[in-house]
Amino acid sequence: MKNFTYYRPLSLEAAVALLDNRWGTTELLAGGTDLLDLQKEYIAQPDKVVSLTFIQDPVFTRIEVPQILPGTKPTVSIGAAVKIADIAEHAELKNLFPALTDAAAQVGGPQIRNMGTLGGNLCQRNRCWYFRDEHVLCLLKGGRRCFASDGENRYHAIFTKGHPCVIVHPSTLAPALIALGASVEVVGPSGKRTIELNKFFQAPTKPDQREHVLAPNEIVVRVLIPVEGLRNASYEVRHKQSYDWPLAQAAVAFRLSGGKATNVRIVLGHVAPIPHVATEAQKVVEGQTITRELAEQAGEAATVGAAPLSQNAYKVHLVKVAVKRALLLASGAQPDWAI
Amino acid sequence: MAEIKWPEKRRLIGTKVPRLDGPDKATGRARYSQDINRPGMLHALILRSPYAHCRIKSLDLSQAQKAPGVRAIVTVGQVNYTAGRKEGKPGWEFPVSVTDVGRELFYHGDEILAIAADTEEHARDALRLVKIEYEQLPFIVKEETALQKRLGPSTVPGKDASNVLAGGSRTEGDPDGAKKAAEVLVKGTYGVPVITHCCLETHGLVAEWESPKSLTIWCTTQAVPGTAGQLQGFLAGHGITCSVRCITHHMGGGYGSKFGPDIQGQLAAVLALVAKAPVKLFLDRDEEHLAAGNRPSATATVTIGGSRNGTISVFEAASYGTPGVGRAAGVNIGILPYVYEVRNVRISTDIVRLNHGAARAMRAPAHPQNCFITECAVDDFANAAGLDPMEVRLKNLPQNDPAAVTKIPTSFPALRNTIYTDEIRIAAELSQWKKKWHPPGKGPTKGPWKHGIGMALHTWGGAGRADNDVFVTISSDGSVLVQCSTQDLGTGERTVLAIVVAEALGLDPKDLTVVIGESQIGRSTGSGGSTTAPGTAPAALVAAINARDELFRKVAPKLGLKPDDLVLEPNKITDKASGKTFTWRQFCARLGVDTVRGQGNWIPGLSNLGVGGVQVAEVWVDTETGVVRLDKIVAVQDCGMVINKLACESQVAGGVIMGINLAMFEEMIVDEQTGRMVNPDFEFYKLGGMLDMPEIIVHMHDMPERGVIGIGEPPTISTAAAIGNAICNALGVRVPRTPFSPDRVLAALHARK
Ligand SMILES: Cc1cc2nc3c(=O)[nH]c(=O)nc-3n(C[C@H](O)[C@H](O)[C@H](O)COP(=O)(O)OP(=O)(O)OC[C@H]3O[C@@H](n4cnc5c(N)ncnc54)[C@H](O)[C@@H]3O)c2cc1C
Repeated sequence: MKNFTYYRPLSLEAAVALLDNRWGTTELLAGGTDLLDLQKEYIAQPDKVVSLTFIQDPVFTRIEVPQILPGTKPTVSIGAAVKIADIAEHAELKNLFPALTDAAAQVGGPQIRNMGTLGGNLCQRNRCWYFRDEHVLCLLKGGRRCFASDGENRYHAIFTKGHPCVIVHPSTLAPALIALGASVEVVGPSGKRTIELNKFFQAPTKPDQREHVLAPNEIVVRVLIPVEGLRNASYEVRHKQSYDWPLAQAAVAFRLSGGKATNVRIVLGHVAPIPHVATEAQKVVEGQTITRELAEQAGEAATVGAAPLSQNAYKVHLVKVAVKRALLLASGAQPDWAI
Repeated sequence: MAEIKWPEKRRLIGTKVPRLDGPDKATGRARYSQDINRPGMLHALILRSPYAHCRIKSLDLSQAQKAPGVRAIVTVGQVNYTAGRKEGKPGWEFPVSVTDVGRELFYHGDEILAIAADTEEHARDALRLVKIEYEQLPFIVKEETALQKRLGPSTVPGKDASNVLAGGSRTEGDPDGAKKAAEVLVKGTYGVPVITHCCLETHGLVAEWESPKSLTIWCTTQAVPGTAGQLQGFLAGHGITCSVRCITHHMGGGYGSKFGPDIQGQLAAVLALVAKAPVKLFLDRDEEHLAAGNRPSATATVTIGGSRNGTISVFEAASYGTPGVGRAAGVNIGILPYVYEVRNVRISTDIVRLNHGAARAMRAPAHPQNCFITECAVDDFANAAGLDPMEVRLKNLPQNDPAAVTKIPTSFPALRNTIYTDEIRIAAELSQWKKKWHPPGKGPTKGPWKHGIGMALHTWGGAGRADNDVFVTISSDGSVLVQCSTQDLGTGERTVLAIVVAEALGLDPKDLTVVIGESQIGRSTGSGGSTTAPGTAPAALVAAINARDELFRKVAPKLGLKPDDLVLEPNKITDKASGKTFTWRQFCARLGVDTVRGQGNWIPGLSNLGVGGVQVAEVWVDTETGVVRLDKIVAVQDCGMVINKLACESQVAGGVIMGINLAMFEEMIVDEQTGRMVNPDFEFYKLGGMLDMPEIIVHMHDMPERGVIGIGEPPTISTAAAIGNAICNALGVRVPRTPFSPDRVLAALHARK
């Protein structure tokens, strides 16, 4: 990797002050499970690496679950520096947000979960094999075309309309968090701001864009999840059972009252450059009782707008199954697919 | 000398003996070649072609040479340049304008040069300062494209530009007539992609010149003396006469890809010579995938036919496969149809050359491909005939050869029907085949999951070889040293030698010191073809018996006894004449300052060749997602006389795991736009983890009367075919190509609808 200067600030403010206001020259280092790979492959070549691991601010490093009293609108706060393993194993989070903890428990393997952080997970770069190959000058590296569009694209996006770069967003925590209505608190040179997570991601098309909307000198401080008593679940289809990425994921959340689902959110992972909100599927479920038939209809509706590439039409089918299974899981149905 | 035979009563041979180096490996004490660090050692890295096909137009090393820490740069053109011998100069004393400019590179990863620097980081930085202008040339990286064009861009030096070479053909009997007469006739296409060896220890070495006449390498190789010899030959080709010693005490897998120093060995030796310092050069994972060998792909369109009662009368296969820029075919027409006896046969194969790394031997070369092609077709035939495929297998097994039965009753031809029939019966029992097999697609279901079970057979040689010297030295303290230059690839070879010598000397294997993996010890052959145990175990027995006899000859007179009256039993030597006994130590103590040394080489009669093998896979397939879960694999394997049952079972389990990866996960993916492999890693070049592994039940079918036969290769052969058949049994449709990923399973399911 290219030589760099290593910084260990002790506060978020000090870290912000070390960051440049353009992409590429400075990078934040959390667990390093993504950044170090990017550096070794010369995809990231920062001059400065700013470590976040010496910042002790509890807001940044802890999980806070407030007392949940009737009539209140409590919010769970998960610091950006929290390890994925700690999310996966957190008893209260498991109870409130199984969509999140199930997704966390399936990330990579134990090593990745023990090093990888929530902030790093949301800000990680895409896994497109053309993007990750230094010698391929793709759109995101200043080239003129996306090689996956006409090339090896079995793992790429199926919701491709309007996207010159057909990566999929790699985070499996993000769809769950979006379904749960989460937002992120970030800090920059002019202080803190909060962004709804469903507005946090963007489809990049050029070198000076990331997969999210943060400014180069902003840092994710924590993720806030409202406790709204939503039924929620995430379902992933995976080729390998460990150390692999899902082929498709569906995260769902809804309020169940009088047997009917309302406030329905259905978010798909690994099918689009950003976590993909399946609006048509949400409409199918809104106000309805969740049955197997309805879940299947929702699965069908979730594929509206899909425009698969040469090698990934199979993902359209997987989306249907993932949505169906996630809805049934969240509704409390006995999963007949578990063996 | 009396004829040497394996002992009738065996105390150790055939039992489960933990490997001697197990604790060393588990604790990290075992030093692999990659663990070797020498004083003043430099680190070298290789610069490789970024393109699938190009020519070096210019090469400027000036900046790299000036970079911090750089001590030597040597190009591939220079190490290949032997024309300079006429001028009395080695190739690397010529400028790159002579040796490298104009050189053609034929694949992504083709070697260009190597740089040695004080640290790995400096070497990597320096690689990036090499300035090369390339002329990009047309390339082909997909078999389908090559088959269409046939005469494409070249993949090898010289004028031969054809991408499709005839790999041979064979016709026996009257296939057309048999097809017409067949009551059941099915046609199918089956294929496996190019996969790579994935040795956990990547290729490479540490090279150190003790003097201009003497080079030592610590090299990860499966041919210790062979590698030393090849390197010596290479240096001689440049006018350098020297001795080369190769040390390989522990090794992290070779699987057929590590038979010589390779280009990295040549580069490291020359860098060390030029820089006058030891050099370490090991490949990274991506280089391993790109340039350190692979298993050729194979695709075949098979027509198989026969009678309704399951007798196969005709087998036709039109096939092709790619060895990349290599020449070896993935399909061996000599052994198709695989295992079974079919009278009417028509086989042909094309070798499709592509601009990617060259194939090398890989654990049972050509066999998994041939097995997959044959065994999938056999199941499809059985399914079409409405028969249990196990019965069809039994029906079409080759008969025991009557001539062999009378002449050489322990030979494979004399026993093949018996071996397969026994092994199928055992596998059927262990897998509950009779209970669990069902017509395709008609099995038990659990929600969207469907159950399937499948079987496949395989065969292999595994003969012993001469030119394997074993030395057994007994000292007066009773200690025993066993030496052989052979290598332990992770197979347990070190322990094999200990078991055999301990058996012959009445000792405990743990009490012996076994030194292997040093070329100067003597002759040994490369670990290829599953020949190591059958080549060295007989030699070890001979050496041990010679050492024992020598011990008796030397000590008996000192005790006033006759050597012929002495009997060796576990830890005890008895004089038949007087009934007097000595412990091993007491007896050896009489050697005084003397030692005895017994030498042995391979002799015929103690080893054999030819094995069978049967595997059964049980799977569940999620018909909604296409996800396959492996439930259980039963592997029944013979290898003549089992020496170490524990190690044999491990070998079989390891072979099965490798076969599972071929079936489920592995695939080299090369991009047609860039000519670059897109998955030279372990992220998208997938290998199963713990959670992906089924229960693996291994049964060793011990046949001590046959002598020792190799076990390394056979158990990996039929796993993929058995899994393919199990999936077909679950779904009622054939998934024609591996890896059996969800997209392929779904495609097969949807194609039926
Ligand atoms: C084989 C494999 C399988 C995987 N499978 C999955 C999976 O199934 N699902 C999934 O979601 N992920 C998966 N991952 C990815 C893994 O979750 C991420 O690598 C990890 O979450 C990154 O966290 P980190 O702390 O190590 O980030 P780092 O590597 O330290 O940083 C990653 C990026 O985020 C930036 N960053 C880090 N923290 C912050 C912050 N607080 N504010 C702003 N920017 C920040 C860094 O600058 C860098 O650009 C997998 C990874 C591997 C290697």
